[in-house]
Amino acid sequence: MKYLTIALITEFMKLRRSKIFWITIVFFIFVPIMMGLLMLVAQHPDIAAKLGIVGTKANFFGENNWEGYLMMQNQIIASVGLIGFGFVTSWVFGREYIDRTITNILALPVPRSAIVSAKFIIVAIWCILLAIILFVTCILIGNIIGIPGWTQQIFSDFISKYILISGLTILLCSPVAFIASFSRGIIAALAFVILMLIMAQFVALVGLGPYFPWAIPGVHSVPEGTDGMKIVSASYIILFVTSLIGYFGTIAWWRMADHK
Amino acid sequence: MDNMIRTVNLSKHYSDVKAVSEINLNVRKGEIYGFLGLNGAGKTTTIRMFLGLIKPTSGDAFILNEKVHANNNELFNKIGYLVEIPYSYPNLTVRENLEIVRRLRLISNKKSVDQIINKLKLDQYANRKAKNLSLGNAQRLGLAYALIHNPEILILDEPTNGLDPAGIFEIREMLSDLAKNQGVTVFISSHILGEISRFATRIGIIHQGKMVQEIDANQLDMLCKKQLLVQSRDIYAAFKIILQKGYSNCELNNNTIQITDPKAINMPEEIATLLVNAGCPPSLLQVEEENLESYFLRTIEINGGVK
Repeated sequence: MKYLTIALITEFMKLRRSKIFWITIVFFIFVPIMMGLLMLVAQHPDIAAKLGIVGTKANFFGENNWEGYLMMQNQIIASVGLIGFGFVTSWVFGREYIDRTITNILALPVPRSAIVSAKFIIVAIWCILLAIILFVTCILIGNIIGIPGWTQQIFSDFISKYILISGLTILLCSPVAFIASFSRGIIAALAFVILMLIMAQFVALVGLGPYFPWAIPGVHSVPEGTDGMKIVSASYIILFVTSLIGYFGTIAWWRMADHK
Repeated sequence: MDNMIRTVNLSKHYSDVKAVSEINLNVRKGEIYGFLGLNGAGKTTTIRMFLGLIKPTSGDAFILNEKVHANNNELFNKIGYLVEIPYSYPNLTVRENLEIVRRLRLISNKKSVDQIINKLKLDQYANRKAKNLSLGNAQRLGLAYALIHNPEILILDEPTNGLDPAGIFEIREMLSDLAKNQGVTVFISSHILGEISRFATRIGIIHQGKMVQEIDANQLDMLCKKQLLVQSRDIYAAFKIILQKGYSNCELNNNTIQITDPKAINMPEEIATLLVNAGCPPSLLQVEEENLESYFLRTIEINGGVK
């Protein structure tokens, strides 16, 4: 625990000075603002007609009320979150290779496993913060533009689902960390995230979404009763096992691979 | 004397490339061991195996009589290291980078950061971001990482890269002081024999992954070749006279007679007398000693040549 705390403090020191940290925050504020803009357009068909393609996109919400708006936020955290959290993870792990500081942190009294675990904790904290920022911005924007149909029940349903989807998406960061470590950089890890996101779309189309880890958060975000989109117990098991494989695989890589 | 660093048939192969082949070496307490080799000779690979960064294909490395492996974390607290060009977190200042190392080295004394900044003369750069440091100062910062915890053993891979002559001198003096007065064992790699020979107590030469020679630094002078150079107005006559007198190992190249016969090298005045008496006085008589660089190149040429 002592080693983990020390490693965590040093990871925090690195994060504090990083521009990427602030860029991700701006991005996670920007996305719900854009969604709010689309909602605003959808609420005013006269504007939608003038805006052409933007007006068409605004129809994604289905019903122009809080229920439709919040459901879209769940889909955002399942998709944009996957990319954003994947980017955060690939940067936290890959930067040591890009900055070539990896050699500095491998032969120390603090075990490598503590350093890797501290990185995962930083990733989790960072991603939770981004999820909270997205959530708060989304609610604020919704209130500012005056979306109709707010009820306590809709909000309670949304928040529990939002937390679950965010948590599941964060769990999918560990395989990204492994790819970043294995490939010694961030490019391959980002490519992996994008590939998984594309694959998730295809897998969901053929009805296997509940069994593909990267599709599971997205499956959660669609309305209940959608064909081929029913989460089963195995879905959670598959996602947890994937996460554990990523976590232990990353630790094993840091401990056992040749660091040339 | 204690064996601080010891290797037993230490080897690292990548497919069919033998990066390091059966290296056996011993470094004793308080020694400054110069590990010499051309680029790609296997120096960095060997050093990485000392630090558990690379697993040997076969053989073992021992530091303080403990087998080195990636998870021997206690051992790493006794070692300070610098591998190739030291890198730092670019957006963190010199002080912040050292603060990270202080914590990861479990050093409770918070003043140690200021002390090492002062020791490495980084005071004026303490609050400068690492990305804005010159190569020389980045190198000093790397040395600060290696020294901050006052290690028993220092493993340094080309630590004077990027330093100016004054900086090289300063680091050399500091390492000599650490070894002499604090008993720190220093293992230092370089590709410049002239630099290493000035302060190393023992030198190992590695070439194409193999250890080709291990010598005490004070023997180096004896191993360097010497030759007597002779020039005369009638060089052919002089050459003939010298040969007739029975001197061996004489060659005539570029109007200069090169004699490696110890008898001539130790008493060049006899050659002078001989030539004067024969009416062919020398216009040049000079004992030339092989420099360290050519000795190094000759040593590795004998052992497979320069590639």
